[in-house]
Amino acid sequence: MRRYEMICIINPNLDAESLNEVVAKLSDIITKLKGFVIKINEWGKKKLAYEVKQFDKGHYILFDYYGNPDTVTTLERNLKLDERVLKYITVKIDDDVDPEELMREERKQEIVAEERHDQAIEEE
Amino acid sequence: MAYDGRGKGVFIKHKICRFCADPSLPIDYKDPKTLVMFTTERGKIIPRRISGNCAKHQRALALAIKRARNIALLPFTTAKVKLKEY
Repeated sequence: MRRYEMICIINPNLDAESLNEVVAKLSDIITKLKGFVIKINEWGKKKLAYEVKQFDKGHYILFDYYGNPDTVTTLERNLKLDERVLKYITVKIDDDVDPEELMREERKQEIVAEERHDQAIEEE
Repeated sequence: MAYDGRGKGVFIKHKICRFCADPSLPIDYKDPKTLVMFTTERGKIIPRRISGNCAKHQRALALAIKRARNIALLPFTTAKVKLKEY
């Protein structure tokens, strides 16, 4: 399994509902192809450095996931066909990842975050 | 500081790779604020001989800038500067 990072720029004129729809559709594609979405990070509406399809703003959404090379080709084909998506980029972060290990690390981080939260409450 | 060897005693500033000096400084295509420091006003990548970066970090930086350009975080070129100049 490989770990990928995908950023896509989505039409800024969409309302929150259809934006969520696009995000749900994309994460659906990843999970259907035996990939796992680690996190989805929405950067919100940002100004573009240059015009893309005559838009000067765009919604940036970052997908951090792992999957196979097939996942990427299918996902990119879907992105290309979807008119709501203005631009996208996929970057490979890691070549060989063990999915279970990743999940374990995620859990560890969650536990650490919880502990910190508890400590903060105690200090108060 | 280094002596430039031209006999006039002019001192030139010794350049150090900023990414080697501070390993916590990340080279990430998602972080245009850092990358902008290594581009000219027109959006060109500043060469190694001027920025003082080491070869390894310059390669990583160039790749990051090109990726950032691809997703419209950095410009390929700036039209605003052109207007000022002409």
